[in-house]
Amino acid sequence: MTNSLNDIRHAKSMIFIGSNATEAHPVAMQHILHAKEKNNAPIVVVDPRFTKLAAKATDFVRIRPGTDAAYMMGLVNAVIQNGWEDKEFLRARVAGYEEMAEIASHYTPEVVEDITGIPADDVTRVAKLLANNRPTSLTWCMGGTQHHIGSSITRAFCILQLVLGNMGKSGGGTNIFRGHDNVQGATDMCILSHSLPAYYGLSDGAWQHWCRVWDVDYDYITSRFKDKKWMNSKGFTLARWYEGVIQEEKIHQYTPIKALIQWGCGPNSNSQYHKVRKAYDMLDLVVVVDPFPTMTAALGGKDNIYILPSSSQYETSGSVTSTSRQIQWRNKVVDPIYDSKSDYDIMAQLVEKLGFAEEFYKNIKQVPEDITRELGRGSLTIGYNGQTPERIKRHMENWHTFNIDDLQAKGGPCDGDYYGMPWPCWSEEHPGTPILYDISKPVMEGGLPFRNRFGRVATYVMSGREEVQLAAEGVCNPGSEIQGGYEEFKEVVPGTNWKTDLSQKTIKEALNKGMAPFGNARARCVVWTFPDQVPVHREPLHSPRPDLIAKYPTYEDQSNHYRVDTRFASEQDPDLIKKFPYVITTGRMVEHMGAGAETRSNQYLAELQPDMYAEINPRTANNIGIRAGGMVEIESPEGGKIKVKAKITERVDERTIFLPFHYGGMFMGESLADNYPKGHEPFAFGEPGNIVTNYGYDIITQIQATKDGLCTIRPA
Amino acid sequence: MARMKFLCDVERCIDCSGCVIACKEGNHVPVGINRRRVVTLNEGKPGEKSISVSCMHCSDAPCIAVCPVDAIYQRDDGVVLVSKKTCIGCGYCFMACPFGAPQFPAGNVFGARGAMDKCTMCAGGPEETFSDEEHKLYGQNRIAEGKVPLCAGMCATKALLAGDADVVADVYRQRVFQRGAGVNAWGWSKAYPKK
Repeated sequence: MTNSLNDIRHAKSMIFIGSNATEAHPVAMQHILHAKEKNNAPIVVVDPRFTKLAAKATDFVRIRPGTDAAYMMGLVNAVIQNGWEDKEFLRARVAGYEEMAEIASHYTPEVVEDITGIPADDVTRVAKLLANNRPTSLTWCMGGTQHHIGSSITRAFCILQLVLGNMGKSGGGTNIFRGHDNVQGATDMCILSHSLPAYYGLSDGAWQHWCRVWDVDYDYITSRFKDKKWMNSKGFTLARWYEGVIQEEKIHQYTPIKALIQWGCGPNSNSQYHKVRKAYDMLDLVVVVDPFPTMTAALGGKDNIYILPSSSQYETSGSVTSTSRQIQWRNKVVDPIYDSKSDYDIMAQLVEKLGFAEEFYKNIKQVPEDITRELGRGSLTIGYNGQTPERIKRHMENWHTFNIDDLQAKGGPCDGDYYGMPWPCWSEEHPGTPILYDISKPVMEGGLPFRNRFGRVATYVMSGREEVQLAAEGVCNPGSEIQGGYEEFKEVVPGTNWKTDLSQKTIKEALNKGMAPFGNARARCVVWTFPDQVPVHREPLHSPRPDLIAKYPTYEDQSNHYRVDTRFASEQDPDLIKKFPYVITTGRMVEHMGAGAETRSNQYLAELQPDMYAEINPRTANNIGIRAGGMVEIESPEGGKIKVKAKITERVDERTIFLPFHYGGMFMGESLADNYPKGHEPFAFGEPGNIVTNYGYDIITQIQATKDGLCTIRPA
Repeated sequence: MARMKFLCDVERCIDCSGCVIACKEGNHVPVGINRRRVVTLNEGKPGEKSISVSCMHCSDAPCIAVCPVDAIYQRDDGVVLVSKKTCIGCGYCFMACPFGAPQFPAGNVFGARGAMDKCTMCAGGPEETFSDEEHKLYGQNRIAEGKVPLCAGMCATKALLAGDADVVADVYRQRVFQRGAGVNAWGWSKAYPKK
C-alpha cells in the first residue's frame, strides 16, 4: 500500500477491482465506510461477482474475468479524451506518458465494452465519477494479480492513478490490501525464489551485501551451492514447484526436487492441486510445520511425511509488518502448549542438526529482538533501519497517543512518529513514511519523491523519443538542497551506494540535505524490460471468446521460466470453450482463511460454513437441471474433478461459476478423514476449489491464474 | 438508571459474523445454539442488507408474559434474563418472541427440550455475580465488569452498538447527521441525485 488503511478515511472516492474487502479484510471496512459516510465518497466495485463489498458500493460494475487491463486502459483513455487528466502532475512527475496515451487510445468505450462486457456509457460515467471526486483510493487484491497478464493489470491500475494525479496524496494511492498481519513482512523479506531479502535480487553484489550483514564469509555461502551459477539463478516458484518433482514439463535444473518443507503454507491454495498429489508421492521427504495438520499431511500416499507442530502467534513474539507498511510487535500471551514449539525453536533445532548454527546465529543472541535488528541493518532499500525493537515496543505501549486519522503521535513518548514507523524509516530519528511519494512534506518529516531506479535518461523503442527520468525542475520535497529531480546517492563512502553502505553515512548525508537517498525521479508508464512495455489486454489463456483470442493473443511459450518451461501460445486453444463452456473463478469467504487448516478446525466457523459449494446463476442452474443444495460435478480442462454443493445465487452471472478455495480434506470424491492424525481432523471437509483451477501463469511473476479459467458443470 | 439496548446499523453491517463468533467463543456456547446470528436479505442482489440479531431485551418482553413458570425476568437496566434452574423448556417464549431469540439444546426424541438459552447481553444470570455457577450456566458477566458485550466489542465496523441507550442513540444520531439528510428526506433522492 502506498497509503494506509486509516488514510482511506480521507478518500473522496474509492475504486475496488479484484478485491472483496468485506470478506477478505473486514477490519479495513471501518475506514472505507467512514469515507463513504463522512465524505459522501462513492465506492465503485468492479468484479465478476456481486460481492458483499458490492452490497456496500454506490456503483457496481460487473466485469468479465481477466479483462481488467482493458477496463483500466479504457478508463485512462476516457480521462485523457475528456481532458480530465492531471496535467501538472504528468508534466512534473511522470515519464513515458505520450507513449502510454498512444496505446490507451485503442481502448475506446466501445472496444472496452466488447472485451469486458461493461457498457460503453458506464466506462465514461465511472471515469467522470473518479475525475470529479479526487483523490481516489484504488484497491486491488488477488482478483487483479492472478492472471497470465497479472503484471500488466497491476501496472494499468498504477497508470490510472498517475493520470488522475492521485499518487503521493492523502486519500489517494494504490492500496493493495495484504492478506494477514505479516504478509507485507514476508514480502519484504522476499520469501520468494528470485530475490534476497528487501528486494536486493540475486546478483553477486546482493549476496555480498547480505554476507556483510550476516557477517558470514561470501566464499562459505558460495560453497553451500553445487555451482556458483545457481546462486544467481531464480528458483522454482510456489505456483509451480511440483513440476520440479513430476517433470510433466521440462525443467532446467541439474536434479529434480527431492525434499519439501512447507512452513505455515496452505497447500490447497496451489492451482491444479490434483497434480500436487503426484509430487508428494515422488518426494523423498515432506515436512509440514504448522499449528494444524494441513491437507499435505493427509494427502500423501507414502510414508514420507513428517509433521512438526508449531505454536500459534499467541505463543511467541516478534516483529511483523502490516499491510500499511507499519512494523508492530507481537507479544506472547502464553507459553507453547502441548507438544508444539515456536517457529524460532524449530528453526534453531534444524539449524543445529544441519551444522551451521555458528554462521546462522552470528548476530543473533537474543531471539527475536536480534533478528529484527539484523534484518533492519540489511534492509536499507526499503528503510527498515530506523525501526528498532525498542521503538516498535514503545509504539505498542502507547497506542492511545496516535491519531486515528493521520496515525501520528501527538505528544507522549512517541511524539511526531507515525504509528509503526511505516517504511521507509530512514533513521532512528525519522518518523516513518505514512504516504509514499508525497512531496508536500520534508523527507525528514515523512515525505518522499518517486525513486530514481532506472537511470537518468531513457529512449523509448516505440517512439524513438528520449526522456529525462528525473522529476521536473522545482519539483521536490520542501527543504531539498537540489530544487528538482536528482539521482540516487552513491560514492559517499567509496565503492558503495545508499543501499549497500552499512555505515548508513550515505543515507544520513541525503537526509541532512533534505533529500531522499534514492533520488527524485518520475514514475514510468513504459517498462522497457517487460514484454508489454505499456500494459495491453491479452485474452485469458483459456478464453470463452475465440474471436478475441485472434485479436488479443497471449505471449510466446517461455523456456526456463523459473527453471521450468511454461506454455502460453501453445496452450491458448480457441476451441476449448466448446468442451468447457463456463468460466471458473475463485475467491474468499469471510468465515475461512487461506487454505483453511486453522479455520476449518474451529467448531464455530465450521458451523457457519460447513460445506464446500459452487455459486451458480439461477438461469444456468435451471438450464442444466441443478437444484439448490444438490450436488454438482465440476471438471477442468486439466482433468481435475470435484463434487460440491450447488448454491444458486445471482451473485454470479450466467456464464460464471464461483468457488471458494478454503476447503480441504476431500480429494476428487475421496474423503481423507482417516489420513489425519487421530483427533486432528478438521470439522469442515470439502473438495479444494483449486483441483479445478486451470493451467496459466503470469509472464513476469509466474503467479497462478486462478481467476479466469474454464470448466464444465453437470448434476452429480 | 441507564437502560441497556442493542442497535445494529445496517449501513455498517458487512455480514462478517464476527459478533456471532465472539459470542460463541467467549461464552462457550454449544454448537447449534445461536444467541446471535446475522441475517441477510436480498443476497447477491442490489439492495442486499445484513443485520445482526439477538435478544433485543424488549421493554414489554413477550417472553416474560408467556412464561408459565416465571423463569424469565427483567433487570432494572432492561436486560432480560432467564433462570435455567427454573425453566421447564416448554418453548412458549420461542413462540412469543418476534426475533427468534430463545434457543434450546438439540432435542431428544419426541421433542423434549432442555432449559432455554439466549443472549444475556453478557450480563451473566441470576446466580451470584462472577461465581463459577453463573459462568457455567450463562457465560461471562461483562456488564458487571463495566464492559460492552463481546459481540459489540468485536464488531469491526462498529455496526453493532450496545450499552446505555442514551449513549447508543447519540452515536447513531451523529452518524445519521454525518450521512446527510439527503439519505432519507422525502424527494431528495429524486431532486438532488448523488454525483
